[in-house]
Amino acid sequence: MSTPVALKPAAEAATGDGGPRLGRRLTGFMPLIALLALVVALAIADPGFLTQRSLTAVARTAAPLIVLAAAATLIVLCGGIDLSIAAVASLSTVLLALWLPHLGGLATPAVILAAASIGAVQGVAHVLLRIPSFIVTLGGMSILSAVALVVSGAGTVRVVDDSTVKWLELYVGGYVPMSFVMALVVVALIALALRLTPLRSWISATGYSESAARLAGTPVDLVKIGAFVVSGAGAGFAAIMLVSRQFSGGPTMADNLLLPAVAAIVVGGTAITGGHGSVWRSLAGALVVTLLRVGLPIVGVPSAYEQILYGVIIVIAVTLTLDWSKVSIIK
Amino acid sequence: MFAVLSPRFRSIENVQNMVDAAAVLAVVTCGITFVLLMGSIDLSAAGVMGASALTVSLLVANNRNDNDLGLLGIGVAVLLGCAFGCLSGLALVLLKVPSFMATLGVSAAGLGVATLMFAGVQPNVSDAMLKGWAIERFLGLSYLTWIAATCILVGWLLQRYTRLGRYAFAIGGAEEVLALSGVRVKPYKVAVFAVAGAFYGLAGVMVTSQLGAGLVQAGSGYDFSAITAAVVGGTLLTGGRGGVLHSAVGVLLVVVLTNGLVQIGVSPYWQGGVEGLIVVAAVAAAVIPQRRRNQVVK
Repeated sequence: MSTPVALKPAAEAATGDGGPRLGRRLTGFMPLIALLALVVALAIADPGFLTQRSLTAVARTAAPLIVLAAAATLIVLCGGIDLSIAAVASLSTVLLALWLPHLGGLATPAVILAAASIGAVQGVAHVLLRIPSFIVTLGGMSILSAVALVVSGAGTVRVVDDSTVKWLELYVGGYVPMSFVMALVVVALIALALRLTPLRSWISATGYSESAARLAGTPVDLVKIGAFVVSGAGAGFAAIMLVSRQFSGGPTMADNLLLPAVAAIVVGGTAITGGHGSVWRSLAGALVVTLLRVGLPIVGVPSAYEQILYGVIIVIAVTLTLDWSKVSIIK
Repeated sequence: MFAVLSPRFRSIENVQNMVDAAAVLAVVTCGITFVLLMGSIDLSAAGVMGASALTVSLLVANNRNDNDLGLLGIGVAVLLGCAFGCLSGLALVLLKVPSFMATLGVSAAGLGVATLMFAGVQPNVSDAMLKGWAIERFLGLSYLTWIAATCILVGWLLQRYTRLGRYAFAIGGAEEVLALSGVRVKPYKVAVFAVAGAFYGLAGVMVTSQLGAGLVQAGSGYDFSAITAAVVGGTLLTGGRGGVLHSAVGVLLVVVLTNGLVQIGVSPYWQGGVEGLIVVAAVAAAVIPQRRRNQVVK
């Protein structure tokens, strides 16, 4: 009974990316195919889409989403989920707006640190109390939203002097928005850290078969807590991007990013059952979601359909990426 | 305890207010209890309630169109909720999407449908009967409260005397055993989600009656409050334990707690925070006895 379970992650890790199954291969390239198809479709629907100005706008819109999705991907790779990322980001925008006048340039690292420690608390609660991650983060979402409402007085906090976060609004080489570059840097850093250290195999092992990983000596608990810390820090960084763009912080500012972020992760092809996937996939997923968001009005669909679309996308993408062999009973 | 701290809390009006405030939450919790009994979870209440609130406000007498369907409109709204519940259930059993993902998606779809129907102009309800539900009183309690009480009774009968209710317990307790003993589990799972959806639909109608208008955000916050109430009442998120009556007690506890906190001067913004803490604490308390056995938790 335990042998096939233990063998599976080893075989998967040896072949590198995914199994040899054709279906896996296909879903592996799906996000890129979808991305290309979307770009072509939008270019046909609106010839003005491929101009530098509209592409810059897309890149700027996508930046916070990329960071949120890429950081939360680690938790999904471990087989959990983080539903609190949007609430953490909202709270972080408020904190940043409140701290900027006092701390100046130190406010940015302070906010990321605060967000990371919120993630750590949730991770510890998940691991020590053995509560399923979606319940911990659902509770966390509720608690953090309340905290954000209370500290902000339920209103928007204006940023008067934004000189310390303004650098995110610069353009690299005159065209590429700095926030987008920073988002790519974050994704690259996470990917690099996974590749150069044993972290990648630890996370995969935890996701594929937690009990086997535990028996093999993987520090499962620490890996999970680490994933939650990264997820929190990512939410904090996304919040800084939002503040630099909107010159204010608000207790519900990032709340509508939860569904797009979850959609980005699953559209990218990271399996919700854990183990299979990568942060690069979430980057592609985030771009797909952003293009859909930007593209709907271009082809003349009212933006109210956006929500319905997220719902449908999430359900379909989860179905396609699910590891059917692993799940006999789905709750 | 709150009765000692705040004299206002003890007044008859406040008790009336609390019972009335509990009505909508009680109906939502009734629905969610069946899903929790199976060991699944349902986050779709907010979206389904929004869609049904808009549906009912557009179908009864209102300021947007000439519809005046009265009770029929309410029936349609409840059926719509039922259909959304069906969708969640089908996604769960056919596509094998975990219930919290499926219902999150359905919730988004429900909000989208509601936004489409809202179309930028708020539909104000002028139907006398629907508006009267929230205002007129019978034996000192509003009609909404009596509706909620009926729902709890119906929910209890469903749970106690129908195959659906019994199987919900069994699915939560030991789904494999049930499936191995020849029960076709899937249709019952879909049916449970559909019943839950119908309860949310009715709750959406009740919110519309309270507000006198159909709002997209009609159900915001109720999904989490309902989970809190069910968990506080002793319905385990792992399934198989609890029931509608447990949840009804949980609803009263949550309402008394939130009302009491406001009465002793705590900011109402903390409500969500308190609920979050309660859920995490209650779930932790329930799993701590078996911590050593359950090594794998996702």
